[in-house]
Amino acid sequence: MKRYDLIVVGAGPAGLSAAAEAASLGLGVALFDENARPGGQLFKQIHKFFGSREHKAKMRGIAIGAELLAEARGLGVEVFLDSPVAGLYENRELLVRRGDGVRHYKADAIVVATGASENMLAFEGWTLPGVMGAGAAQTMMNLNRVRPGNRALMLGSGNVGLVVGFQLLQAGCGLAAVVDAAPHIGGYGVHAAKLARTGVPFFPSHTVLRAEGTDRVTGAVIGRVDTDWNVVPGSEKSFAVDTICVAVGLSPSAGLLKMAGCRMRAEGPGEVPERDDDGETSLGGVFVAGDVSGIEEASAAMIEGRLSGLAAAAKLGFVGGEALENRREGLRSALGSLRDGMFTPKNRGKIPASTSEGLPVSESLLTNGYLGDSEAGRYPGVKSAPGVHPVLECAQNIPCNPCRDACPKGCIRVEGKIIALPEFVPGSGCSGCGMCVASCSGQAIFLVNEDIGDGKAAVTIPYEFLPLPAKGQTGTALGRSGAPLCPAEVAEVRLIGAYDHTALMTFTVPREFAMTARFWKSEVAR
Amino acid sequence: MKNDRVRDFGEYVPAPDDDLIVCRCEEITKGEIRKAVRDGLFNVHEVRRFIRCGMGLCQGKTCARLVKAIIARELGAPVASLSDATGRAPMRPMEMGVLANETGL
Amino acid sequence: MKNTSDVLIVGSGAIGNAAAYYLAKRGLSVTVLEKSACVGNGGSSRNGGGVRQSGRHPAELPLAMYGVKNLWPSLSDELGVDVEYCQGGNLRLGKTEAHLKILTGLTESAVVGGLDMRMIGRDEARGICPYLSDEVIGAGWCPTDGHANPLLATLGFYRAARRLGARFVSGAEVTGLHKIRGRVAAAKTADGETHGFGRAVVAAGYDSRKILSSLGLDVPISPLLLETLVTEEAPRMFRQMLGTAMADFYGHQSSHGSFVFGGTHGLEPYFAYGEPRLSSFGASSTCRGIVGYFPVLRDLKIVRTWAGWIDDCADHIPVIGNPEETPGLTVACGLSGHGFGISPVVGLLLAQLAAGEETSLDVSKFRYDRFRAKV
Repeated sequence: MKRYDLIVVGAGPAGLSAAAEAASLGLGVALFDENARPGGQLFKQIHKFFGSREHKAKMRGIAIGAELLAEARGLGVEVFLDSPVAGLYENRELLVRRGDGVRHYKADAIVVATGASENMLAFEGWTLPGVMGAGAAQTMMNLNRVRPGNRALMLGSGNVGLVVGFQLLQAGCGLAAVVDAAPHIGGYGVHAAKLARTGVPFFPSHTVLRAEGTDRVTGAVIGRVDTDWNVVPGSEKSFAVDTICVAVGLSPSAGLLKMAGCRMRAEGPGEVPERDDDGETSLGGVFVAGDVSGIEEASAAMIEGRLSGLAAAAKLGFVGGEALENRREGLRSALGSLRDGMFTPKNRGKIPASTSEGLPVSESLLTNGYLGDSEAGRYPGVKSAPGVHPVLECAQNIPCNPCRDACPKGCIRVEGKIIALPEFVPGSGCSGCGMCVASCSGQAIFLVNEDIGDGKAAVTIPYEFLPLPAKGQTGTALGRSGAPLCPAEVAEVRLIGAYDHTALMTFTVPREFAMTARFWKSEVAR
Repeated sequence: MKNDRVRDFGEYVPAPDDDLIVCRCEEITKGEIRKAVRDGLFNVHEVRRFIRCGMGLCQGKTCARLVKAIIARELGAPVASLSDATGRAPMRPMEMGVLANETGL
Repeated sequence: MKNTSDVLIVGSGAIGNAAAYYLAKRGLSVTVLEKSACVGNGGSSRNGGGVRQSGRHPAELPLAMYGVKNLWPSLSDELGVDVEYCQGGNLRLGKTEAHLKILTGLTESAVVGGLDMRMIGRDEARGICPYLSDEVIGAGWCPTDGHANPLLATLGFYRAARRLGARFVSGAEVTGLHKIRGRVAAAKTADGETHGFGRAVVAAGYDSRKILSSLGLDVPISPLLLETLVTEEAPRMFRQMLGTAMADFYGHQSSHGSFVFGGTHGLEPYFAYGEPRLSSFGASSTCRGIVGYFPVLRDLKIVRTWAGWIDDCADHIPVIGNPEETPGLTVACGLSGHGFGISPVVGLLLAQLAAGEETSLDVSKFRYDRFRAKV
């Protein structure tokens, strides 16, 4: 039987990282994935990632996937695509579909990195065509280049719902609203704010009552829920949509582990494999990494993959001593920094009263999806200054700091932990290069020149919609809430390689809107 | 975990959404699941075996959590007290002809 | 005392549940203790669903025939659950002269036992089931055989017994039975509880061996791995129970439309007893058997495979009865992989044995102490 030192199942961020880590230490590694393309969800992730440089922050998921794959292949990992693993048997044996047959493989260690699948909601009409998982919509758009519909409703305001909601807009599908049964938006405020400023309303404390339509979705009805989760009579609202996306969490795809008898433990409404700090399960020599071991962001999955690949290498005697300890410490510390802040797994469902800086959290950001105009100035990135300067509308402690590294002039400070809010340092000589704007994965940084003469101000926003507007084009400036504010003319559209596909669009508005105008639409406000 | 199955659920109170399809593959409704629990099928495994929810082509990948939540509610037990269905090979449906064509032993 | 009943049954498989049902129907108080968290979690939920008389040992044949004649046809009505009993006949197929010789032997033995069974040729077999491979040259044909849904039958007996007031406790592993003044009268469970009873019925599959050993009884049974698979739903194709001379596979199409197949690969005895785990090669082996006889099923997808344990007796027929040396004890174990089809009748016999009635059939051939050294 063909035997490898390590077999990794699943070529997503965790699996690729595990394979690369182990191969770099000299293990003979095979990597199986059921898809035609490696990368797992990474190749659907057209947005830029959060984190720090060591977490590949500000890179888009697709680019991270390509980089990891190149690294793994360069290190000699044998990557088998279109190769679904049918089962995990005794003695670390795998049965893998290859072409029109199945083939047996064994390994001295196995990393299961099979990811997760989407949870569903059952409501009246949920079986109608047009109701789909948000991840499915993302696959349609970003892998298969098919627009899921013309107008969608998003159920769920976690990061998946928010990110896919924005990608629906990018694909030209309208987004009627984002609905969540919880009283607060579940995902990053910056992701919500991207949607809100385009005019997408949020309905926290609401649940979907039904999808309407006979042979496909033609509408959706939602209603407000009270604190006991009962629908408040008379609170129903209808939306004319042809698509309902469901983003209510993920469940680990732990089938292989369960069939092999891995001990599982209850976590929330589901189960996750029992594992130690390096991902080793109750099945000795079988490790887990990434979402299969508990749902987290892809950035964490990549480090978990490295840790499990390292642990497998250590178990098989390929690494030890100080080299092992140093590497493990580095990885654990990188993982620890990602697991800090307001949205970590341990803080799930809890809303702090203030940021780690002691500033009150924005209630509007948590319920409406945008910073209130009167709240914005509370945060250290939002300050008035002469000349062009960045405005960093970053109000929640999330693990992210590429803006600091992006600024060649030192205008931006992120002190201490990477979850600290970025601070604008006035007088440090902003050149208006826009690198900070393009680097911000949350699209929460703007360049503002509050006085360009003639009673006008210039606002530069990150803009990821096509077609790009042309200089001189007139339109409407929208506020943080998406409310139309005033006419606005496009002054400049910049797109250079270093911006990595994020265009910087500058429009001019009357001066009084300098600190409130945050989006631009070509159509004239009604 | 020990489970003494002597239990009186009282009279069945129909719910307005009893006819909601929960398992799409096998077209099993919420009401059928509720009634199965009251028939003494006290966990995910027994309910699956009795009314086939989660036994279709997708093997419960879509409905497993929904079914579990309905069973838990009917039992008045926390969802976490119920174990999920076991994982079974093949992880994806596989033609007999493919499985028959075996190499690498 | 809370834990006291007329009859304590150890094991909630098809047979334990059937016994519970027939005992509860007699008005006796019944407690069923099940080791697993699930009712019917052993071989009862993991077999191919055959309700066969053909291919049975001569001693077992009367049980199978009694069940097919008297119990299976009305079981769905009796239990209030459609157990999907389908009397579509059994085709046992052969491709070679050697196969036909085996099939002829089985047929002759069945006929001696009074069963309507005969050898049929290639054309007649194909007339009964048009999907057979051209390589099939003959078959043993028993028109009164059939199949049913083991999950529904097992849980159907459970449900019906429960409705009649039988108490079921799952997650309750019996560690031993104990005599009081010469009579088996108490059971201890792993959590330290004691159950008292007028009579105990042990129907716990391979675990029966350990439980009986607590009374100093030894029954020569060993565990064999049983591997089964189910396909996606397919249009209705045939109603027969299928098998082959070499037992490379057996199975049927369920009323749901999916095909349920089991198979044997020859390495069944060499797996460690415990939570049953599939071999990596069993499903492939069974599939080769199936597509060799039914090429048309080649592209049908398997959605699930699973394993269970057969409690294989030294002579491959069960132990059923009231051992005289342990008064108060009734036993049914060692069903040897063909227990499901006779589970209703064995349940009925157990109820009769436990209730002190005359049994509907002679069970003397299934005595616990029949085993002898060969020399």
